[in-house]
Amino acid sequence: MKKLMIVPAYLWAAICVLLIPVSFIGNDGLARQLARLPFMKINPVYSGGELQRTIEKDGLIIAVNNPVFEALIGESRRGFVQVRFTGRPQLPAAIEETIDYNGDGTPDFHVNINTVSGVTTLDPLSKDVLSLNASSRVGEAWVIRVNLHNPRK
Amino acid sequence: MEKSVTYSTAGSVGKSLLLALPMFLLIFIFISGGKPDFSSTGNLIAFVITFLFFSYLFFMILYTGKTDRYRATGFIALALFFALVFIVNMIKARGSMTFSQENFLACDIPFCHIVTTMILIPIVFTKSIIFPGNIIEGFASISTMLVIVIGVSLALGRGFCSWGCFYGGWDEGTSRILHKPMIKKVNPMFRWMPFAVLLLVALTAAITLVPTYCDWLCPFKTVTEYEQVTSTSSLMKAIVFASLFAGLVLLLPLLTKKRIQCATFCPFGALSSLTNKINVFDVRIDREKCNDCKKCITVCPTLSINEKEIENGHSSMTCTKCGKCIDACAHQAIHFHIKGTPPDKRLTLARTLFLFPSFLLLVIFTGGTMEYGITLIIKLITTGSLIK
Repeated sequence: MKKLMIVPAYLWAAICVLLIPVSFIGNDGLARQLARLPFMKINPVYSGGELQRTIEKDGLIIAVNNPVFEALIGESRRGFVQVRFTGRPQLPAAIEETIDYNGDGTPDFHVNINTVSGVTTLDPLSKDVLSLNASSRVGEAWVIRVNLHNPRK
Repeated sequence: MEKSVTYSTAGSVGKSLLLALPMFLLIFIFISGGKPDFSSTGNLIAFVITFLFFSYLFFMILYTGKTDRYRATGFIALALFFALVFIVNMIKARGSMTFSQENFLACDIPFCHIVTTMILIPIVFTKSIIFPGNIIEGFASISTMLVIVIGVSLALGRGFCSWGCFYGGWDEGTSRILHKPMIKKVNPMFRWMPFAVLLLVALTAAITLVPTYCDWLCPFKTVTEYEQVTSTSSLMKAIVFASLFAGLVLLLPLLTKKRIQCATFCPFGALSSLTNKINVFDVRIDREKCNDCKKCITVCPTLSINEKEIENGHSSMTCTKCGKCIDACAHQAIHFHIKGTPPDKRLTLARTLFLFPSFLLLVIFTGGTMEYGITLIIKLITTGSLIK
């Protein structure tokens, strides 16, 4: 039995010698194959969630994402909603908008952004809107994340 | 005299050169990317220095039969040049070593192998990656790094930690500064601590969906990138990173001559130790040749050999295959081995088969980085600036 193991052992060792250059030379192709696997996507906590709807208004494109209430299992009690403001042709110095994040026809929060200084103020208009989580320029757009209470929890 | 205590190609220049030739070619290909850029004198100098550096190291590994001293030279160079190049690139791209809210929201944080330990449980439950990086595009994308981690783990097991990790050279370097340790005894039980850290960070990351080690505990943030200090929590994080770097990477390795961060704190080291179980290369101890001098226990930088391992005839699963114990053994009782083959035969073949992939990994990770780092240093000398 021990003698039978010798050939596969050396063969496996030789394959290991090839594995290193293959992992680097073939990295582009292998990485693209790996990226196609269903779990190879960024968690909504980081990506900001999927786009729910886009509104065009006063030279601004407002992209509202689905609220994110991610948890390892089920949903968390707290989450956030991400809103992206893109200017046409460019971001205005000030953005003042009222957002209905869940699309129920009722305004949920009012936001005031100074895109030069970055100062952002949030006025919650719904009991589920908690506070400002993030507000920053991202490339040519301005992105805010607003903390929410999960109405289902 | 030294040559007579080794079992490898020591003493034969011709044979060593012949064996090293394929590696010289691979070094040339990998550091030049197949297309050497000699458009400036700086590039040419950097290429020649890098090529000669690695060719010399590999030749000496084969010629002298000593592994660790030459590996360590390349490994420490990897850590230093990686930090230099990474920091300069960050400053060029972002204006500082810190990442901002914009980088976080844009998901353009580079992925490193240590994050692998924290994404596995969330992948199973949420079918997604809990990291603000890019799946396929940009520098150090998640897919790119995962392919490397899988390939290297299959090929070398925890050999990654001594031949490919771009952080490990820091504590390797500081652990070699003093001739003798000031703290002589480190409890070997500490080698199991990375498993506790792995369990802790894997569970906390799963519960919070935050890569907690990166967020709070990684000492190497100090020499790569860290969160912009804009709040009390980000200030606390910066203090924790700097303190852990000072303690685990600089001070304790200096005093103990052990790679304390790698041996006792790195969760990737623990995960990688598990891959040692399925890896074909291991380090064997020949009980018949061993005279129980225990020098291997003294020199092992990751606490992977003690009396029990000597008795069992092989190093612990935490072994990083650095070769330090093999070099230190005056009785040639320790050697690289291929599992499933007789432990006392074809030792040079086993060593060579291990050295080719492991040294190539070192070359691939270090080569381009070192070459670019040297051009930066030349730029600094000639223009007075690293950034311009």
